[in-house]
Amino acid sequence: MAIKFSKTFLLRKLHQLTGIVPLGLFYFVHLYTNSAALNGPKVFNDHVQDIHNMAYLLFIEIFGIFIPLLFHSVYGILISAEAKPNVLGYGYARNWFYVFQRATGIFLFVFLLFHILNFRFGLIPGLNMTPVAGNADQAYAIVSREFQIVWVLIFYFLGVIATAWHLAYGFFLFAVDWGIVIGEKAQSILLKASLGLAVFLSLIGINAAIAFVRPCGLLPKALCEEPRLTTPTPPKKV
Amino acid sequence: MNGHIEKKRLDNPPATIKLKIQRREKEGAPVSWETFELTYRRNLNVISALMDVRKNPVTIDGKATTPPVWDMSCLEQVCGICTMVIDDKVRQSCSALIDDLLLESASDTVTLQPMSKFPNVRDLKVDRSKMFDHLKQVNAWIELDGSYNLGPGPHISNDTAQERYAYSRCMTCGCCLEACPQYGDDNYIGPQAIAQARLFNMHPVGQMEIDERLNGLLGEDGIGNCGNAQNCVQVCPMNIPLTRAIYETNRDVTVNALFGWLKK
Repeated sequence: MAIKFSKTFLLRKLHQLTGIVPLGLFYFVHLYTNSAALNGPKVFNDHVQDIHNMAYLLFIEIFGIFIPLLFHSVYGILISAEAKPNVLGYGYARNWFYVFQRATGIFLFVFLLFHILNFRFGLIPGLNMTPVAGNADQAYAIVSREFQIVWVLIFYFLGVIATAWHLAYGFFLFAVDWGIVIGEKAQSILLKASLGLAVFLSLIGINAAIAFVRPCGLLPKALCEEPRLTTPTPPKKV
Repeated sequence: MNGHIEKKRLDNPPATIKLKIQRREKEGAPVSWETFELTYRRNLNVISALMDVRKNPVTIDGKATTPPVWDMSCLEQVCGICTMVIDDKVRQSCSALIDDLLLESASDTVTLQPMSKFPNVRDLKVDRSKMFDHLKQVNAWIELDGSYNLGPGPHISNDTAQERYAYSRCMTCGCCLEACPQYGDDNYIGPQAIAQARLFNMHPVGQMEIDERLNGLLGEDGIGNCGNAQNCVQVCPMNIPLTRAIYETNRDVTVNALFGWLKK
């Protein structure tokens, strides 16, 4: 007898995979770009321009980000709808994490919808109306102006923390759900590493956001200097 | 020290204790609550307290009522039938000592409810036949009957035997399913059947039907619906490593179902 094809099983596995490979990978790239703001407007805008200059950009956006994100979020909400949380009777740490994973997922659905409309498209009335896409030279200015509004900045802080948790714990869930990390001790080590990653990603993300309102974010300014422009000298001929 | 731990007992026990019991006349009937008062005795457990109530089923308001119905059999936490939700936590009522419960809740009341994930037959009695259906769904047995003598079975390593022994302790009580935030509405088969599938997948003869068992775990209510809250392993009265069974089966499923086609 052979293993039968199972739609539910494949969708679950695809849901876990999309969270890690396209979306997790993209998140690291996104944080890298955001952190460029520490070195000032010009460096950040150049990074944004580099992304604009990428080959196959439209295809990467559609097939690498938009479709996986849509699938992951819609299927994730369907999974969350099945949950019967019982943390009041059974207040174990892992049971809380189970609830957090679903709560952050639902929150991120709202947050990412706002974030994409706000910056990628510039379509939220009353807020920024200039899309960052296609306006790389204004990228820093757009974000910086937006982050002067206190509730927007706090909303982004929450979004950054929720993403960090959801992704870091998602790595843990991926490892156990695919049968990679099985034993109790191995799981406890991986869990601690995941929680550490969540804190680390939160701090990096928050610092990058602060870099749009205060140069160099929370770090001492000496650590982030704008690169001095040097005139290139041609290599010497021997 | 001989390793014996003296359990904490109430120093100044109350003269009377209260049992707050969820009542239901029959399946589908509305739920109501009744509180009974009874005299405290040393070493009272939930079953003996219920037996006291049964002798004189009069509520604290003086209303005569029907004796509460519950299931019990072995009275030593090995049959699993007396499982109920005691002070919001699922466990066997025979091994739930009143002293422990009162110490934990710091009150004089013990709340009893039937398990919520199974059809409620009456009062504290539930119908757990769903768990037997799940065992059938995952082929939780080994095909041994044949037309000729198969000879002695293959040897099993001590590690495998130890792990299988742990899974074999399952008494089908339902604690893991009651505490699981994913189990319910036929959404998810639950840890009980997964651990039994693992028990027989680990057997050298049972290994031959691994595909049947994995098929039983790959449907719409399959193992993929585990939410990793790990409540099951916390509440299991037999200390069965239920999550280990789930994650080892996850590996089997990844190898055989997800990447199985790579062998073709």
